[in-house]
Order: sequence, then structure tokens, then C-alpha cells
Amino acid sequence: MAKTILAVDDSASIRQMVAFTLKGAGYEVIQAVDGQDALDKANTHKVNLVLTDINMPRMDGLQLLELLRQLSHYKTIPILMLTTESGNEIKAKGRAAGATGWLVKPFDPKRLLEVIGKVIG
Amino acid sequence: MTEIIDDQVATNFYFDKNFNSQAVKLLPGEYYVTDKDMLLVTVLGSCVAACIRDCQSGIGGMNHFMLPEGGGDAGSPLNASARYGTYAMEILINQLLKLGARRSNLEAKVFGGGNVLDGLTVANVGQRNADFVLKFLQIEKIRVVAQDLVDVFPRKVYFFPKDNKVMVKKLRNVRNTTVSQREKDYKLRLHKVDSGGEVELFS
Repeated sequence: MAKTILAVDDSASIRQMVAFTLKGAGYEVIQAVDGQDALDKANTHKVNLVLTDINMPRMDGLQLLELLRQLSHYKTIPILMLTTESGNEIKAKGRAAGATGWLVKPFDPKRLLEVIGKVIG
Repeated sequence: MTEIIDDQVATNFYFDKNFNSQAVKLLPGEYYVTDKDMLLVTVLGSCVAACIRDCQSGIGGMNHFMLPEGGGDAGSPLNASARYGTYAMEILINQLLKLGARRSNLEAKVFGGGNVLDGLTVANVGQRNADFVLKFLQIEKIRVVAQDLVDVFPRKVYFFPKDNKVMVKKLRNVRNTTVSQREKDYKLRLHKVDSGGEVELFS
């Protein structure tokens, strides 16, 4: 059965590119437009991995990360941050909040799939 | 080898006597966002600039970029060119949101994409940049309220975000090669970009 990835980004262009990449590799993709939308969808779908942007309206990716880690299903699910942010301080915050990994945009589709393959087998 | 693209915040500040205003000049690859009453200026050849502002708060910003050539199938949504353009636009939008702009209030004025650079291996590079920025804004549902794109002249763009005003001067008689040389240098830097940003796994 195909593994399911929750892809979260407020940019429709990025969501399109990420979904195209993941679907092409055989993953099921659920898209969310911000942290709040992602949290709602995470509660109704048990996904295998979350890939999230950080700078988003309503709820940002770091808040989403913190809230997901409080849910029993998401305590150990890989959560990857895909962001334009590359500063050490924000990266440390993400790591402390339970991020599995950090990918700085612009993303390389091949590298993204390698990382995802590594963390969810 | 991954090379991080050096998109940068513009730092060339000056006082513009003509407009009696604090100003910042953007070079190729730079962006600037502000919630202050000031002037953002750039000179465009084949590059494009998006002037994006929150129509309620007046928070606004501008970028100045071009797409790199090549990088895979030109028709694919995943080609390096489209990924870089999307990144350049996202950086600007993210900084506007950080300053307090609301995504739903954003509107854009877009300029440039003149076919003014010679020695390019891709025909109509200006048209390509112009097409990209319009398509991106359409996908993102950001209203384009003004545009002056393509043609064959470089342009000087003056953006006053607080006043919601843009002035564009077409440079029909350019006496030096500064504009085209800056864009050529920028284009060479972009050639080094064919992969993505850094990746780090924490566990």
C-alpha cells in the first residue's frame, strides 16, 4: 500500500511541485495550505510523513510541529521542514521541537525523494 | 555540489533628491520589503521585478530576478528554472508576511523582461521571465493590477509602496553597458544553480 505524505505550504506553486514529485514516486499526497489546515487533516488522516513549510498564515510550521508532536500518532512520525529559512537559530528551534530534518528551498526533487526514502524506508 | 543562491536583501540606501525620499536601489538577485514611506528603485533589462504590496496596510516589497537557463525539461513543473523562480518569489512574499502583510490582501505590479541582453543561448529570455512571473501570480491568486513587460528597452522602476505608486521610465538611449553587464554577471551566478538548498537530518 502506498505511503501517505501530508504536504503543507501556503504557496500553491510549491504545493504543485511537491505533489508532482511525490506522486511521481508513488506516494499518496494530502495537501494543506497552512498549519491549521494541516492539523485538521492530520487528525482525520493517519499519514506516514509530514513535509511542511514554516512561514505560513494562521499557523506556521513550527507551531504545527509542536502541536503534532503532542498527538499520539505523530510522536514518532517523521516531520520534515521544507523552508526558505536556513538560519541556525530557527533550525535549532525546529530540532528542539522534534523536527526530523531540514531542507532549504529551492528543493531538489531527487534529493527530496532520497531524504524521504531514508526516513520512511 | 549544492550551491545556495545568494538572493540578498538590498543594501544600497541613499537619499533621492528628486523625490525627496529615503530610497534603496535593488541589484539583480536582490529584494527589499518595507512598512515605511520610502522609495524602492531598480533598473531592469531582461530581468523582471515584482512590486507586491498589501493593499490595506501599504506594506510592500520588490524583487529583481531572472530565471536560470536550462536545468531539465523546460515544460516540466520541476525544471530548475521554475523552481528557482518560485523560490525568488516566495522569499519576497515570506518577508512581506513577516512584516505583517496578509496574503489575501496582496496585489502585484510587474515590470521588465525586455529582450535586451545579447549573447543568450535561450531566445526571448525576457519573454520567458515575464511569462513566468505572470503564471506564478496567477497560480498564487495574487492580483496583477499593473504591468509593463517585454519590449526591447531597459526600464528604471520607482516603487512607492505606501502611496501605491509605481513610475517606469523606458531607457531608450543607454550610453553604457552597466545594466547588461550586471545582468550578465547575475546570469553567470545562476548557472551554478542546478540543485537545491542544504539538507540536514537531525536523527
